[in-house]
Formats: sequence, structure tokens, C-alpha cells
Amino acid sequence: MTATTAPEAKLQVLPRADGSAKFSSAGYTVIGSVNGPIEAQRRDEHAYEAHVDVIVRPAAGVGGTRERHLESILQSSLAQLILVKNFPRHLIQIVLQVEETPENDYANAKLVQASLNFPILPALLQTAVLALLSASVPMRATATASFVAVLSQDGTNKVVVDPPPRDIETARSVHVLAFTSHDELLLAESEGDFTVKEWDDVYDTAKRICCQSGGAKTGIEMELDDAGDNGLDMRRFLRSAVETKVEADLHWK
Amino acid sequence: MAATDRIIVLPGDTIDPAVIPTPRRNAIRLGPGLRHVQATNSIVPTVAGQLITDHGKGSMWVESSTGHYIPAISDLVIGQITRSQGDYYLVNLSPYTPNATLPHLSFEAATKKTRPQLNPGALVYARVTLANRHMDPELECVSQTTGKGDGLGPLTGGMVFDVSLGMARRLLLSKPREYGGVAVLELLADEGLAFETAVGRNGKVWVGSDKSEANTRMVIAVGRALRETDERGLDVEAQKKLVRRIMKELSR
Repeated sequence: MTATTAPEAKLQVLPRADGSAKFSSAGYTVIGSVNGPIEAQRRDEHAYEAHVDVIVRPAAGVGGTRERHLESILQSSLAQLILVKNFPRHLIQIVLQVEETPENDYANAKLVQASLNFPILPALLQTAVLALLSASVPMRATATASFVAVLSQDGTNKVVVDPPPRDIETARSVHVLAFTSHDELLLAESEGDFTVKEWDDVYDTAKRICCQSGGAKTGIEMELDDAGDNGLDMRRFLRSAVETKVEADLHWK
Repeated sequence: MAATDRIIVLPGDTIDPAVIPTPRRNAIRLGPGLRHVQATNSIVPTVAGQLITDHGKGSMWVESSTGHYIPAISDLVIGQITRSQGDYYLVNLSPYTPNATLPHLSFEAATKKTRPQLNPGALVYARVTLANRHMDPELECVSQTTGKGDGLGPLTGGMVFDVSLGMARRLLLSKPREYGGVAVLELLADEGLAFETAVGRNGKVWVGSDKSEANTRMVIAVGRALRETDERGLDVEAQKKLVRRIMKELSR
């Protein structure tokens, strides 16, 4: 599988959940389900806001420390998006099941247990946002995420979006950035050696992917965008996935 | 409405001020899926769906058909009695949510001596009178002003079928066939089936009839027809076909 596959998404894939989504990008496929707002258990209950519960399940085996770490990152990002104050004493449960990864998860997965699994983070976040939209959970804004690595090739450093797994292993630094639909930085996780200048380059690249002006563009601008960079526009992708679903649901309108 | 002039919004989108209705006298009324942000004095969608504006009534809302039921005042709902506690029945409106309360005396012509005795599992058709994020919802089965039931009250016999929130909303429109594109109930009634229905905004439809084996078959057929219309997104033509098939199966 090539690492630069175009993202794909399908909403409302599970019949019993309040909302669900299947998202695949860069060799990762994740299914997410959202239930809520539902009654929270006494120990999770918060008097003034909803408890957001994120569960990450790996493609193989049971979740461990790595998954708990991913969950805590996702939980704090998603709680920023969801209007948690609207549902005090409630629970919003988000389950993310990894279906497919570019590497073989069955082999030597536990060797790198201590490190954070960076390349999967954007796929998990994107699935969660799509599933939340599918469940009509009231939100402040939507979000888009991207994975960027700084590779050192022939003595020069290059900023690459969604590099293949082999390049990630040799990358000087890897970064995950997510932005809300109001162009605010929602999540920034970095690993490796990098300078401030490199981080600025990474930030600009990620922002270009995540924060293009989306559906408001006219035809000629769209063509110009596709010509530059790699044409990846997460915001437009998110909008078109949701629009397709909404139009199918409201066929009677 | 043509597909081209649909406005589909996502949470946090900016709404074009030109589409926001400006009623001359009253304040603008915001329906589900919208919130007013005081800091920027703007109206922002909170769910994904189609933005609907009514310039005549000065109201706007976001039409979406999925998700978990969130109680809102004056919604008609179908609830299941969990138990009786003090002067209240505790009523379940949707799975895994806190119970709503229904006072023993808010039924038509109910007094301390002549109130309906409802056992756990009994069904009621009720109206939401209190929906507040900090409190559990409250229900009533009688109109506060007239003291009449207006069709609300215990539902006896029949069965309840789960449908999507969007389907429940379509069935509750004043003319489901014209405005909501649901003709399946009308078509089945035209074929000579005799049944009653009650639609709850919480995604539940009750189908009732007299108790007999033939009627039980019919109730299940009607309920399944509704669910199939909902799940497969059938249009009126496809619903006609579905009804013909059901009638053939029932006559066997």
C-alpha cells in the first residue's frame, strides 16, 4: 500500500451506535463510534460538564500504555471541541477501533511500547471528529489533523507530509498538528531534534493542509490549490464527506 | 426545495448574515443546532445539517436526523415506566439516559383515588414540560390549560418500534406525505388495515390495534414497513412497492 493514499470516509457505518464513521488515510483505517450524551457513571460524573471518554483499541491485541497515552491526548483535544458545558453529569463515549495499519502490528509491536505512535494520531482524531458529527453531538467547531515529518536527504532537510513508514523510522523529527475550523491550533505533538525554523516550516505546511478555506472557494481558486503542494485539503474533504451524508439523510426535504 | 439552494452547515461555520431572518417585531427564534455566541454576537451552528430559515416566523434551525435524543420542552415522547417513586413515575425516554419524572396526577381526570396504576414496563405518550441541562426532564400526560388528555396517556396493547430521530420528526410533521415524504402509513390504511399510531420525538413509534392473532401480524408488518422506509431511505414510489409486497404477504 502506498502511504500517500487519498483520505476516504464513510459516516454512520454501525447501525446500533448513535454515530459512527470509518476513515482511512495514509495506510491507516479506523472505525469510530460515538454514543452520547448518556448517563455517566458516578465516578465519572462531573457537576458542570460532560465527561468525554475516549477508548482506543489497537488492530491486534489489547490496548496498553501506548493506547492510554493516545487516549489522553485525544480526550483533551476533543473536550475542547465538544460543548461539554451543555451536558453536565453526562458522558460522551468515543470508541476508536484501529482496523488497518501500514506496518504489521503483529510483529515487534511491543518493542516500541514506550514511544508515542505518532503517524496514527491524525487518523484517530479525524475519525473521532467524523463520528461526533455523525452523532450530532453539539460542538464548538470541527477539526482537521495532519502528520508531518522532517527528513534529512542529501544533507538538506525536507518537510514531508504523510511519509511512508520506512521514512518515519529515519526521520529527524515527526510532528502531529491539528487545527480547528477557526484556524486555531488544537494539538501539537513533536518528537525528535528540530530547530525553531524547522518547526515553523512544519507549522506552515500543516496549516496549509488543514486550514484551506474549504467550500467557500470558486472554481479557479480550487484549481490553483490543486496545482500547488500535494493538493491535500483536509477541510474540504471533511466537508464533502459530511455533506454527502446529510444530503442522503435529508432526501425527503 | 431544489438541491442547489440547500445550505449545509458544519459546527462552527459562519452563517451568511443575508440568510438570517430579521423579524420586525419579535426577537429571532433559534431552533435546535444553533447557539448564540455573546462575545462576537453571532449565530453559530453546533451540529452538521441543513440550515433552514423561516423569514415569515423569524426562526431558524439546523435540520439533522441522527444522534441521541436530547429532550426539549413540548416534545411529544413515548416513554417506558421504570418504576414508581413517591408521587412520580420514573420514565425512560432513551437508552442509558437518566429517567424522566411523570407526576402520578398529571393524567386526564386523575385524582388521588382514580389515577392510572402503571406497572414497570408500561408505555406512556407524554409531553416534555421541563428540559434543563442541570435537571432530569419532567413529563405530563394532560394539558395544563384545558385539563384534557389530547391523546396523551398510557398506551395499551400494540408494540413500539425504534426509528431514527429524523424519521420521527418526519412522521410528526402536519402532513407527513407532502412535507416529510412518508406515505407508508397512509398507503397501508388505504389498503384497509385498521391500526393506530403514536409517534414520539425520541425516535419511537407505537403501533396499536385490538388484540387478536391477525392484528398482531398486522402491527408487526406496519412497524417493519416504517423501519424499512427509514433504514433504506425509501421515496414515495418505493414505499408504494413496499406496501404492495406487505399486503401480498399478509393475505397469505
